[in-house]
Amino acid sequence: MANVISANSLTLAYDKGKTVVINDATFTIEQGEFVFITGPSGSGKSTLLKSMYGQIKPYKGKLSVGGFDMNRIKRNQLLQLRRNMGIVFQDYKLINEWTVEKNVVLPLIITGYSLDVQKVQAEKLLAHVKLSEHAHKYPLELSGGEQQRVGVARALSKNPFLILADEPTGNLDEFSSGVVWDLLENACDQLNATVVVVTHKIPTIFNIPYRHFIIENGGVHEVH
Amino acid sequence: MKSIKEHLMFILPLMAMLIGIEFILVFNRITSSYENKLKNEYAILVVSKKTLKTPFVRSIDNRIDTVEPMNREEIAREVTAGMQDAAIAAIMKDLPYFYRIHLTKYFSLKDLKEIRDNLKKVNGILNVEIFGKNYHSKHSMFELVKMLLNIFIVMLFAVSILLVIKQMQVWQLAHKERMQIMEIFGAPMMLRSGILFKVALTDAFIATILNMGLFIYFKNKWAKTSDVDFIKNNPDLLFNISDFFLLFLLAIVIVIISVFYVAFKSREVPEG
Repeated sequence: MANVISANSLTLAYDKGKTVVINDATFTIEQGEFVFITGPSGSGKSTLLKSMYGQIKPYKGKLSVGGFDMNRIKRNQLLQLRRNMGIVFQDYKLINEWTVEKNVVLPLIITGYSLDVQKVQAEKLLAHVKLSEHAHKYPLELSGGEQQRVGVARALSKNPFLILADEPTGNLDEFSSGVVWDLLENACDQLNATVVVVTHKIPTIFNIPYRHFIIENGGVHEVH
Repeated sequence: MKSIKEHLMFILPLMAMLIGIEFILVFNRITSSYENKLKNEYAILVVSKKTLKTPFVRSIDNRIDTVEPMNREEIAREVTAGMQDAAIAAIMKDLPYFYRIHLTKYFSLKDLKEIRDNLKKVNGILNVEIFGKNYHSKHSMFELVKMLLNIFIVMLFAVSILLVIKQMQVWQLAHKERMQIMEIFGAPMMLRSGILFKVALTDAFIATILNMGLFIYFKNKWAKTSDVDFIKNNPDLLFNISDFFLLFLLAIVIVIISVFYVAFKSREVPEG
């Protein structure tokens, strides 16, 4: 299977190298794998995830995502890469002035799909995340769990090859967390998407095989 | 209510800028028209022993437009009132030629003096009268008004630019989050700023229409009751339909610069 993400002696740092967060990490993640990244607060989990969607550039070493060299990626290439990814955030990052339906199809709007396609896909995804009746509401009218389901639906809307999730259940109750994990499992299992999840805690019940990386003292180690 | 306030906060400074531009247009039309009027009303008086023709006089000084001969008989009649025919004939014989010399534009007193000196060098020209004192006071007043209005327009423009920049900062705060979310999902700059363009173009159109309405009012209502005869007789100077297109074009340019500024300032900066 092809590598979707490949890190070779990757070092991530802030303040022009003064604060090293990830130090000399080497790993690969293949197509269709589900990966958990855990570690204590401030260990660099989110930083590692940010580097995968180009929010932070490698300080040293090499990082490749979806065939793009993240050290040298150009702005338009980065936007192109992001258009084929799904990203889920702990704070949802929904556009509050847009309806739930419009938020869900944001990746389709960006790619220029027709309104008809957007509508069909929005209906399908909202049914999938059990939010059909909220299609015309605005994000702030929903609970945290519902907003996160909208966030996951948005991440899935374009059948991405890679889904990155940063603490997707961090603010959610048990029920909503269960729904979000199911959605991510399905994306990996049924759509063959690669899913990388940064979390404090791996769910106790998880139905598909996964890999687990732990970040400690700047190092990224796989737990077997 | 919030939305109306947001629109007004952009429309008002934009209107102020457009009013400034429209003032420049109107002022240029009025001044050039008034200048033309002053120019047409003014003439240098030349007394010459020889007849003068326009091409010849123009060759002496290219600031001269036309040479208009004055009626010698009329002048003679005024001078010889009550005299005998023989005396009149003798005077007519020795009477020089009188000319009004019109200029190409409304020149300064310095120019007039140069023209006078050039004319005086011509053999046969006996006297040149430029009516300098009266001309100078009119010209100075004209230049003073012009300068004051230009200062006013520059200040109006500067204040408007500050207001537009302020509004851009408000926009940036209001739209930054949405633009950044769209960028995370790979939206290009044009798409990210699309909604701003829609809002701003609508505002530009509204500002132009309001501005046009204001000047049409000046033209159709104010000009008719104005105490300024020149404006009263030339109300068209206050608004031309071509101004609308020019102002709208300018408003669009301002809008494009504003939106790109906001979009650029909201751009993601890679960390690290």
